[in-house]
Amino acid sequence: MARRTYLDRIRASRTPFTVAIVVVLTLYCLIALFLIPNVMLSSFKTRGELINNIMGFPHAFTLENYVTVLVEDNFIRYFMNSVVLSGLALTSLLFFASMTAYGLSRYRFRGRDALQVYFLLGTMFPIQLGILPIFIIIRTLGLTNTFLGMILIYTANMSLAVFIFSKFFRTLPYALYESARIDGAGEFRIFVQIMLPMSKPVLSTVGIIQFVLIWNDFYMPLVFLTRREVRTLTLAIFRYLSNFLANWHLVFTAATIALVPVIVVFFLFSEQLVAGLTAGSMKE
Amino acid sequence: MKLLQNRPYIGFVLPGFVLYTAFMIVPLLVAIYYSFFDWSGLGPMTFVGIDNYRTLFTNPRLSSVFWNALGNNAKMVLAVLCIIMPIQLLIAYSIDIKVRGYRAFQLIVFLPYVISPTIIGFFALLVFDPNLGILNTIFDALNLEQFRSAWFGNPDIAFPLMVGVIAWQGIGAGMLIFLANLKEIPREIIEASIIDGASRWRRFIHIVVPSLLPSFTNNIVLGTIWAMVQFDIPYIVGGSQGGVDNSVDFMNLFFYRFAFGGAYFGETSMGFGATISVVLFFIILLVAVGQIAFLRRYENR
Repeated sequence: MARRTYLDRIRASRTPFTVAIVVVLTLYCLIALFLIPNVMLSSFKTRGELINNIMGFPHAFTLENYVTVLVEDNFIRYFMNSVVLSGLALTSLLFFASMTAYGLSRYRFRGRDALQVYFLLGTMFPIQLGILPIFIIIRTLGLTNTFLGMILIYTANMSLAVFIFSKFFRTLPYALYESARIDGAGEFRIFVQIMLPMSKPVLSTVGIIQFVLIWNDFYMPLVFLTRREVRTLTLAIFRYLSNFLANWHLVFTAATIALVPVIVVFFLFSEQLVAGLTAGSMKE
Repeated sequence: MKLLQNRPYIGFVLPGFVLYTAFMIVPLLVAIYYSFFDWSGLGPMTFVGIDNYRTLFTNPRLSSVFWNALGNNAKMVLAVLCIIMPIQLLIAYSIDIKVRGYRAFQLIVFLPYVISPTIIGFFALLVFDPNLGILNTIFDALNLEQFRSAWFGNPDIAFPLMVGVIAWQGIGAGMLIFLANLKEIPREIIEASIIDGASRWRRFIHIVVPSLLPSFTNNIVLGTIWAMVQFDIPYIVGGSQGGVDNSVDFMNLFFYRFAFGGAYFGETSMGFGATISVVLFFIILLVAVGQIAFLRRYENR
């Protein structure tokens, strides 16, 4: 971490403006700093206690809600569904998007520029706009309520990943590719054994932001996963919310179960997350 | 095999191309095709020409819902461009000049972005629920009953509240895009201006803002699309009807009711649903292309 330079200190020098900013931002951040721990703490309160003590520490920690949510209400299953679906969809997306990007950036061929633009269209038109025909396709293939259908959709939504991968592959030295060719390696082997291992930074950048997006996705599961066995965590919490009064004490627990992995990922990988989010924004 | 050997890129691009085309591009076109039919999603499709469009724009009952939803999207676009974006820039700038605690601010402002919309919806209920919510509980405890409110149950304030909740979740993304751009401004220019004795305000207007045009382009276009396709939080908090009196209804919700929700006829109407999505598609196309063309001209100057 670089030390603040003299000019840094001048730039941040205290003026009424910076003081006001710091105060306002602090207050703003208190919303998150209050809500998230509050939900986690409240997940240990009984229903009776929640009514009177919504803010603050639980009087007696109870794991009752966790038993109800995880076992009786099947959240172990929903959690595993989310893990399996996100894991498979992410693997598939990274594989196909990196392969496509590699083909689009390593080789020169007629129509390549047009194809690159074509693959960018998805950043302009969210996949939700085509959801009706997608629904019909998935239904015709008999893939509603299957993870395979969801994986196809998440993989097809590859514009941003292709864009970021392409930018990265263009920076890999061509000599590397040539020497592998001379050694007699096939095209696909060069990609898998030489190029992909060199792409770890960009794989993690794309992977982490896409993991968060897929893990949190609400719309696709809402449309395609109507059966209980395939329900994801996000969707299961939504079912709780739609009967808010009855389940109100359980939502805290369910939300905590869903929040913890994401917050761990967030604090471990915040740099990659930021990189993944902004990598797609710098078009040139 | 010979073809693949001579043109290895085909093997790399084709699988992605097929998937992307089948599930991203073709559906956009097929939606246009569906919009000319009366179709419940099952059974026969009846060609009805532009009847669905006529109904959408002229049927008194439906068109009022349509204009209300579209109006809310338009208000959301305005809120993003005129309120949320300046705040994003202000936060990014404060982080870039390293105000006290800037690292924590960056993390925490961005944090809600990675939280699932159902949990954001739960936070909203937790704070604003009229009976159990934190705000009304606090007002009761402080004997400030006059401040109690139905919050999302009150159509007069539901919309601005919704903008607030949506902004709270999404504000970090655009902020980080500004911040990435701010970090690209050459240090020497900033330092030279400090040595020249330019005030912070002059530095901001004359050096910082002109360097930010690329991120302005991005945030304006992405922010507009974001505002035009709102669905998750309004649906979770306000239900498929978009809250009391459709106060937080949006185009995407209106669409969903017809496509999947059995909106008004007791059954789904795929043809009419497709019509709504096509209208939304063309609005996004027009707005985005217009904005990009306009901003490109600006950037080139």
